[in-house]
Amino acid sequence: MTSPGEPVPRVSGRLASASAAETCDVDLVVIGGGVNGTGVARDATLRGLRVALFERNDLAFGASGNSSGMIHGGPRYLSADPEVTYTSCKDSGHIQSIAPHLLFRIPFLLPVPQAKRRIFPLMDAFFEAYDRYQPLKRGKPHARLTGEELVQLEPGLRGELYGGITFDEWGIDGGRLCVANAVDAHEEGARLFVGSTVEAIEHEGGVVRAVRYRDRGTGVGGRITTPRVVNATGAWAPLTASLGQLPPVHARVRPGKGIHVVFDRRLSNYAIMSETIDGRTIFIEPWQNVSVIGTTDDDYYGDLDDVVATSEEVRYLVEGVARVFPAVREARIIGTFAGVRPTLYEYGKLEDALSREHAIVEHAATDGVTGLYSMLGGKLASYRLFAEEMVDLLMRDRLGRPGAPSTTHLRALPGGDRELDALRFARDHGIDAIAARRLVYRHGARAERIGERMKRRASEARTVCVCEPVLEAEVRHVVEHEFARTVDDVARRTRLGLGACGGMRCAARCGAIVAEGRGHAPEVAAMDSLRFLTQKARTRVCALGPIEARQEAIAIASLRSQAGIPTRSRLAVVGEWAAGNTAVVNAAVGNSAAAASVSVDERGAQDGG
Amino acid sequence: MAAESIDVAVVGAGAAGVATCWALVERGLSVRVFDGGLGATSLAGGAIDDRPWEELARAATTLRVEPLARPVGAEAARFVAALGLHRLGDEGASMPRVATPMGRFRIARGHDRALLDLSRLADGARVLVPRVPRAEWDADALARAWSADDYARARGFELVSMDAELTMHLGEARIASADLAALHDDDARVRWLGARLLELVAREGRADALLLGPWLGATHARAEALTQQVGVPVGEAMGEVGGAAGLRFEAARSRLFERIAVSLEREQVHAAHLDDAKVELTCESGATLRARAVVLAIGGVASGGIVFDPPERHAGRDAPSGVRAPFRTSLAAPVTLAAAGRVFDVGSSLFGPALEREAWPTDADPGLLECVGVACRGARVGARLFAAGDVIADRPRTFLEAASSGIVAADAVLGALRGR
Repeated sequence: MTSPGEPVPRVSGRLASASAAETCDVDLVVIGGGVNGTGVARDATLRGLRVALFERNDLAFGASGNSSGMIHGGPRYLSADPEVTYTSCKDSGHIQSIAPHLLFRIPFLLPVPQAKRRIFPLMDAFFEAYDRYQPLKRGKPHARLTGEELVQLEPGLRGELYGGITFDEWGIDGGRLCVANAVDAHEEGARLFVGSTVEAIEHEGGVVRAVRYRDRGTGVGGRITTPRVVNATGAWAPLTASLGQLPPVHARVRPGKGIHVVFDRRLSNYAIMSETIDGRTIFIEPWQNVSVIGTTDDDYYGDLDDVVATSEEVRYLVEGVARVFPAVREARIIGTFAGVRPTLYEYGKLEDALSREHAIVEHAATDGVTGLYSMLGGKLASYRLFAEEMVDLLMRDRLGRPGAPSTTHLRALPGGDRELDALRFARDHGIDAIAARRLVYRHGARAERIGERMKRRASEARTVCVCEPVLEAEVRHVVEHEFARTVDDVARRTRLGLGACGGMRCAARCGAIVAEGRGHAPEVAAMDSLRFLTQKARTRVCALGPIEARQEAIAIASLRSQAGIPTRSRLAVVGEWAAGNTAVVNAAVGNSAAAASVSVDERGAQDGG
Repeated sequence: MAAESIDVAVVGAGAAGVATCWALVERGLSVRVFDGGLGATSLAGGAIDDRPWEELARAATTLRVEPLARPVGAEAARFVAALGLHRLGDEGASMPRVATPMGRFRIARGHDRALLDLSRLADGARVLVPRVPRAEWDADALARAWSADDYARARGFELVSMDAELTMHLGEARIASADLAALHDDDARVRWLGARLLELVAREGRADALLLGPWLGATHARAEALTQQVGVPVGEAMGEVGGAAGLRFEAARSRLFERIAVSLEREQVHAAHLDDAKVELTCESGATLRARAVVLAIGGVASGGIVFDPPERHAGRDAPSGVRAPFRTSLAAPVTLAAAGRVFDVGSSLFGPALEREAWPTDADPGLLECVGVACRGARVGARLFAAGDVIADRPRTFLEAASSGIVAADAVLGALRGR
């Protein structure tokens, strides 16, 4: 393993593979469509490599799209890992200049209870140290507050408060960040295979030759030759390594599950820090148009494609925040999301004490396979730097000397090149000002392309998702230009269906638009939207309150009434029944509904009662 | 204030409550009914079932047969006729088919008269789906989805979307669908709409039916008038939650209650106290009412009759104050709650159940939110306490089944009051 800055071990066989590389389909295969994978694909493409990127699920499907949505400097790491704080802050600054539209300021409040008044000066000094990093990311210096000032700023705070500290962080939409990187890479010539899983990484005589892949939608497989493969699959990294017949432990991570709870609106003006019962720092943050509580950090041994929060985890967080901000108990939860961090592996440490550093494994050194690399660890805030380090290494290995320097900190991400006035955009296109503001947030200057669609076809200015809101033109845009293949993918890119109604009003329509855009039959649309609705329901039901439970019951009833809930039939045995007449149908159904306490024939029911 | 006294108090005025009232009046008892707000019936989309239709549809698909309408109990059928809102499919004939906003043609045992029944169209029918600039009505996508539905293909239906001018003012693109429906309570407006539809049919040449959104009247279904005016069947697709079908149910309910002289109290009942001789209800306003028996027809979780209320909700900064069942009825009454054949006892979590496992329906289980309810034998909960409809644990949530359970409850009440 090499940490950034360490000399890279030289491996024999490099020059031999260089000539073979000429005949390969691509110069580099990147596996993983998270922020690291898309970051590497973009950087490498901009430096002239021919790149193919494979993503098994969707861009930002894992940790990148399920993080706290901040590129924070990590004051948490300052005492143990100041290097992490420095690089995070520095790279945050870069991200801010290449994608200014995706960032929003999140001021934090750290309430200090009476019991901790003695260490208040210490905390103050700590944040004074953090202030030194703030200019790197255009953050404001911290401020000290009295207990009264604290409650004035955030009237929902409770407890015996001695005072507080404010500090400054930046919020970001991780999903949009990945998509922006992927789109830029694609426009510069990279080939993207979203929804295709790599089945094998082939190497011969210690040199990477090709990857075999399969489109998980169509089931069609393929092979692409390449001299280099970067495994940027986050928590999936050891699985991916095993696809190259390497021991998984050579790309080992310490998978840490983190969940977040989402409320239907912004509950506070500031993000508020709190402590859990076991002394971990958590927070409630206003994020885009909702509030989010995060996060947990627990070792994870489950299915990486299917990570969901549980009631128990939700309660742990709500209990922690309720200590200082009890209103969360009565507030309306509209969903949860969960992801698994690919933290660097260490045995015997508590999850929170693990390093947030990143590292690159050169499998030439560890396994004798030249051209295969694994990216482990890392943070959203320093993804760009991590990608730059990865591509620097690739260039050195390819040329035997440093290649062209990275430009990813200078070149704007799509839409980040200039500012767009959302209000003027709303007037020009005759759309709602809030819809325009949200659109410009997500797409920056590229919102104009969506505007042009609406000029060409006025019907595309119709609202699909009322909660967010999302217009039809944006849905069509993300299907055509941002690799969205399902309603879930559209949600990840636009926040469609993630609002208070849980997609009940928009999933069917969105499914129809996606299917049309991709040339699929309408029944594919129906299945896709049903899958989305039931999947999202699973992320909501672990956090029900009285109102949410009623809404959920209505959602179930409404789905049953209009589409039927897609569960496997309890009547599977019916097929074995010989007769094919209606009497049998009714008998079969009668059987399955045997638990009914009252039958439709009221006379019969009386006997039963 | 001296409490009034009547025979039976019915709490809840959805399908079950209204059927209970109707059946009690038929049996010569005096009734007072309470309506605490929107329930599942008022929120439903206009199709009514006896059995969950998806199970019927699935069985029919597996067996490759057309499902036929089962008999509905005689008294339940009389109730449906008395309410006058729905048309039931003919017994033993093909079941009605209605269009859903999810792009399907689903079977139904009956439907609100405003809905278009596609089973009554000839094979190969050409159904027009006019474009209307409203969020819930993407005519192109809907026509495409409906055309691809198995039933449409089997019958050779052709669903065609086309431009039309069916709204009068720009603002009608944004108002709630129920409000647009209310505009069609005006006769002149319906005639105007009919004229537009006539133009459309003339322009299109061939039209065998017109399928519109859930906009055709809030007090009466105007589909029949339009059908007469236009000369081809005109009807609605099912609506989303909280649309016109629910308003029409409420209007039909008012008409029925007026006819059978039942007074509807728009008040939430807070508690039912029972003793050997009587029941006493306490209302939100503090008013009390004495009755010889009470029927709970307050609905399940979807209606708000059963409330999910885990102890963690009211804990403030501290831990929840004690363990109790996470569900309760919306009014205080001596009932026991059950789900999936199991009675809720004190519970084993200070916070609440593991909802991610239990709340939504899965392959194996119907889901806690659907099946939780009051444990009872038939309609009988206690000596003077009865239940009807969704509030009963573990019963299918269909309209006709709820109505039948109301009739069962009326019989049970009658039996109890006669001292049987």
